[in-house]
Formats: sequence, C-alpha cells, structure tokens
Amino acid sequence: MVSVADLLTDGRLPSNYFAQDLYVRGLTEMGLLENRRGDRLLAIPDPLLQAIYSGLEKETGQASHMVLYNCGRWWGKNFYARFCEELADYYKQPMASLAMAEFLQSLQQCWKTHGWGQIHLDITYRDRGFLGVEIWHSPFTAAAPQAQKPSGDLERGILEIFFTQLTGRELSCIQTSCTAKGDDCNRFVLGLEKRLQSVETMVANGQAHQAIMQTLMQQG
Amino acid sequence: MAFKLDTLFDAPDKKYLNASDLSILSQYVSSIPERMAVYRTLRDQEVAIMQPIADVLQQQGGHPEPMVERSVRNGLMVLRYVAMAMLLDDDSFVEERLQGWLPEMIKAYDTQAIDQQLFQLLEKQLSKVFSPAQLNLLKPSLEKAQGLMLNTRETVTPTLAGLF
Repeated sequence: MVSVADLLTDGRLPSNYFAQDLYVRGLTEMGLLENRRGDRLLAIPDPLLQAIYSGLEKETGQASHMVLYNCGRWWGKNFYARFCEELADYYKQPMASLAMAEFLQSLQQCWKTHGWGQIHLDITYRDRGFLGVEIWHSPFTAAAPQAQKPSGDLERGILEIFFTQLTGRELSCIQTSCTAKGDDCNRFVLGLEKRLQSVETMVANGQAHQAIMQTLMQQG
Repeated sequence: MAFKLDTLFDAPDKKYLNASDLSILSQYVSSIPERMAVYRTLRDQEVAIMQPIADVLQQQGGHPEPMVERSVRNGLMVLRYVAMAMLLDDDSFVEERLQGWLPEMIKAYDTQAIDQQLFQLLEKQLSKVFSPAQLNLLKPSLEKAQGLMLNTRETVTPTLAGLF
C-alpha cells in the first residue's frame, strides 16, 4: 500500500528548482546578481553581444564561427558541471539516480530562467540515433548579423558538450536552421560524428532543416 | 514573487494610496486570520487528507503502486503551492511556480488520468475538512492548478539511454 507519510520522509517535495522568481536574486548593495545558491549571475546587454559578433568578424573573419563554437564548448563544460552540482544538491541525491524526466525538464526551465530562450528536445529521430534540439527566441542568434549560414555557434558548442557529457558518447552537433538566416527558430541535430558528416554539406548548400532530416533518415 | 498587493506597494513613486487601494489592503488584512487557520489545517492534516485518497486510487482505481505514488506526490505538491497562494491571496503564485514543471512531469510519467481522479477526490476531501467560506479561499488557486494539470502540451523525453 502507498503510505503518504513514507513519501514525505524528510518533508520535502523537490520540484521546479529553476523557477524564475526563486532562482534569480540580487545582492544589490554589492551591485551583484546571484542565483539561489549565491553564484554570480550576469546580465549581458544586447549591444555587447552584437559587438562581440562584429569584433570577431572584423578580426578573424571566417574563423569567428570556430572561435564562438569553442567558447560554447568551454561554457558547456562548466555549465554541465554546475548544473549537475546544483541539481544533486537540491534533490539531495547523486546525479546518476535522478530521473531523466526531472533532469531534462530542469534543463528546459534553467534555459528559460537564464533568458537564453526556450529549449525543446525533439526525439522524432531517436530510432535512427539522432537527437534534435530546438531553441526558440534565442538572444544569441538574435544579436548575430544576418547571414546565409547558421550562426548559433555558441549554442552548438554548449549543446555538443552538454549531451556528450550526459550520454558519455562523443557527440557532434550541427545547426540546421537559424533565426539569423530568417528561420523560425534554431534547430540542431546531435549524433555521432561520422553519421552527421553529410549534414554539414547539406547545411553549406543552404538546404532547409526538413529536407536535411529527410535525407538523413533515408540514409539509414 | 508577484504578490498581488505588490502593485499597491509599488505606488510610493507615484502618489499616496487612495481610498479604494486602502480598502483592498484592509480586506486582505482582515482575511488573514481565516487564511492562517486554513493554512494550518492543510499543513497539519497533510497526510490525513491525502492518505484516504491514495487508498481509493489504489483499491478502486486499480492503478499500479508507482503510478499512485507519483500522482500522490503531484497532489501533495499542488496542495502545498495552493496553500501558499491562498495565504498570500495570490493565485498567480501557483502558475508561476508550477508552470514549466507540473504539466511536463504529468506528461513524462503519463499520470494525467489518475491525477484527474485524484483531483476530484481531493475536492471531496477538502469539502469534508473546510467550511464553504474556507473552500472559497482555496478555490481560485485550486482552479489554477487544475488548469495546469489539464494543459500538458510540452513533451519531455523520459530516457536518452541507448539513443546514440
């Protein structure tokens, strides 16, 4: 029989750790924003993001994509570690025993609360070994200059390393749609590198996300 | 926290509160003893309110134990948020804290049907414990919570194991 008292052994019912009104705090007398654990948060102004894109483009040209992608990976590595640490502390259990549903929902809520847009996982292609990720209202690609090629390199980096660490498989991430080239949202495909090779060429040829995914599915 | 009275407390940079603002404040203040009484009952009777519901779900609903546990957890969580919202007289509190969480968890664990049964049983149970006037205090936030439970559109993948 289900005993309600047993469900409440320590009296806690952990839920939405990243709820916006709980998570973001301020130490205003010091001039700092903080999260609920006291780690520092930083609000980045739009013009600064625009300046980073344009400064990189001016100084490094084509390599700016690679620079941002590497920054994203660096960010992702730290983000993954901190994210896991915060959740493990909050749920009072090791990450390995936290249910995947709670983990992924926390990721979505965390993304939203930090103001990085709305992230959704798309498991339509899971049977073929691909994971789709959609990011709506991305502030990063909103600040990027209009371009023919996708420019969500920061997000590509962070997603690649996040899911690589989560699954323990060396994954590759490719962006297939981007708001900076007029698409409705940023879409990414994650999978093993050798299976994603053809996608890069299709993206470079300007193919749309749906068409790319269709070809990818037919390749098997 | 978007406390309903916040809009009143934001006012000093504009002007003094007028008579109707102050009457909103005084209505809230005079309702606090009753709100605290309801809150205390919910807090102290948490298990007593929920246990009979869990029993009915398991015995009559024929649901497997893990599903009942999951649903009872949802119920307890909702009731805690409802209690706080009632204390603050702020039903948007329930939405702010549970949106982006409860609907997705219901979907991920597929408990929508059993959660709805739980909610009906909860309403009956609450009407045994509280007077109609007290129930009215809980009603707005209960309705908000129910709305969230019915609105499960976002999806979560329950597992990534073996995907790659």
